[in-house]
Amino acid sequence: MKKRMRIGLAIVCAIPILSPLLFMNGNDYLIQAVTRIFIYGLLVLSVEMSWGQTGIFTLGQAAFFGVGGYFAAYLATNENVTDIGLLLIIAIAAGIMSGTLVALFLFSGKRVGELYVALVTLVISFVCEKLANSWTFVGSGNGIPGVPFATLFGKEISSPIAFYFVAFGIFAVALIVCIVIIDSQFGLAINAVRDDEERAEFFGYNRSAIQIVIFIFSATLASMGGALFALSEGFISPSSLGLALSTSTVLWVVLGGRGTFFGPLLALALLESVDIEMRSILPSLWQILVGLMLLATMIFLPKGLASLGEKSRNKRELRKRS
Amino acid sequence: MKLLEVVDVSKSFGNLAALTNVSIQVETNQIVGLIGPNGSGKSTLLHSICGRTIANSGSVLLNGKELVSANPMIRAQSGMAIKFQLARIYVEKTVKENIMISLQAKDGMWSLVRSGTTKKFMPEIEELIVEFQLVDYADTQAKYLSHGQQQWLEIAMAMASNPSILLLDEPTAGMSPKERSDTSKLIKSASKKCGVLIVEHDLDFIKDLCDRITVLHHGSVAASGTPTEIENDPKVKEVYLTRV
Repeated sequence: MKKRMRIGLAIVCAIPILSPLLFMNGNDYLIQAVTRIFIYGLLVLSVEMSWGQTGIFTLGQAAFFGVGGYFAAYLATNENVTDIGLLLIIAIAAGIMSGTLVALFLFSGKRVGELYVALVTLVISFVCEKLANSWTFVGSGNGIPGVPFATLFGKEISSPIAFYFVAFGIFAVALIVCIVIIDSQFGLAINAVRDDEERAEFFGYNRSAIQIVIFIFSATLASMGGALFALSEGFISPSSLGLALSTSTVLWVVLGGRGTFFGPLLALALLESVDIEMRSILPSLWQILVGLMLLATMIFLPKGLASLGEKSRNKRELRKRS
Repeated sequence: MKLLEVVDVSKSFGNLAALTNVSIQVETNQIVGLIGPNGSGKSTLLHSICGRTIANSGSVLLNGKELVSANPMIRAQSGMAIKFQLARIYVEKTVKENIMISLQAKDGMWSLVRSGTTKKFMPEIEELIVEFQLVDYADTQAKYLSHGQQQWLEIAMAMASNPSILLLDEPTAGMSPKERSDTSKLIKSASKKCGVLIVEHDLDFIKDLCDRITVLHHGSVAASGTPTEIENDPKVKEVYLTRV
């Protein structure tokens, strides 16, 4: 693992571990808000793996988030399956199955354009949201409320701080797995597909297989996030499958910087931290401000917050060469 | 047995016949040049060989294996490597990473997934960056290389896959005389390991380098022979050499 990556990982892990002790003072509301950041962090990792690292522009990743959430919520509520390990395994299976279906449809044939992938995934997210809204089996528009507390080794995870550490642990493991993948030979292969998929094929890479594997992996991450969301919030609703969440995730990745893990996670943490406060202070203006921020980022920092460091590295390199 | 045999390849785009029954052969350790005026079908032929374009009819045999309808991945895995006219390298990656991308492509996908490290290729990478004069730039992003160095890097990437046949599309385009001379040496060195097929505009460059030259005109082979035979062919002289 590269030195910069190790330092970043240490910071990402150290802050959440120390935060409850230093800043949160047992404030359950705050703890739940940060827990939500870890959960959405899984969704960010999933978009970063598919789009940021492999070039698969998915606009419907919330569909997989919702699938995991609905599976977990339904089984916990109706079948009394509350063991978090078992629910996560089921969410992983659901993510693999749904991801495989979509991935085979998208990537098993000839190369398809970025726009085509974006539109298909967007439509999938839209259809899933509509389906959940009208299907009484999953609670229609109300979703599935009253999801019981999850259990770990038979003990109920009822306190927010306990769930905080569970969510953080799962997020940290997922982040490390993603970093290890990107640092490996396979990571270089998926970056090769992202940067020039036709060229990668001329080197002998199986572009189609690489895209299918990464798409399934990212769907699985999103599905795990959805399951944790349902268990943390105690409900799941059609909006968890929908366009708003899908586009928010893309927004976090764009703001943070596609192609890095820490930039998008930082953007998610920053935006989510101020989101609740700003919604109450500037209810009508906040969304417009977020839109303007996105616009400004795309104009002045097209590679996102993460490119701030890259710019200074580029200057150093140019100085060195001149 | 011939290394690369292109037999009666034809390709048309709508009503336009880009190639008509073109045949060309390359043997191991041989350098074959392909010349012709603009629009003569050189690029279409190269693309039909590498799989970017699928020929309408004919055969593309590499080591006796029929590849005419195979996709680029299969052709690459069968021992074909290409350097495009405009260098298609990974500009955001370092020189080492670029070469590694090519080196590891021969590993199967599951081998890539299982691999925890990229270090095992370092000896081969070091060897290639020395050969292609890129030692000082090993950890530099490819976007900071000069035009000539980028072309060399792409040839190095092609050679990293240990190909049977190396396809080069105008490898010296935009290079200085010194870079062209160095490139010529690199190609000669490469031909000790594989067969080389070069599409090139610069006749002076190609006649000193190639064992055989094929001239294309209007999508057909107009002449084929040693550089001396081609130079002395009155038809070639009249129709092509003044135009290429």
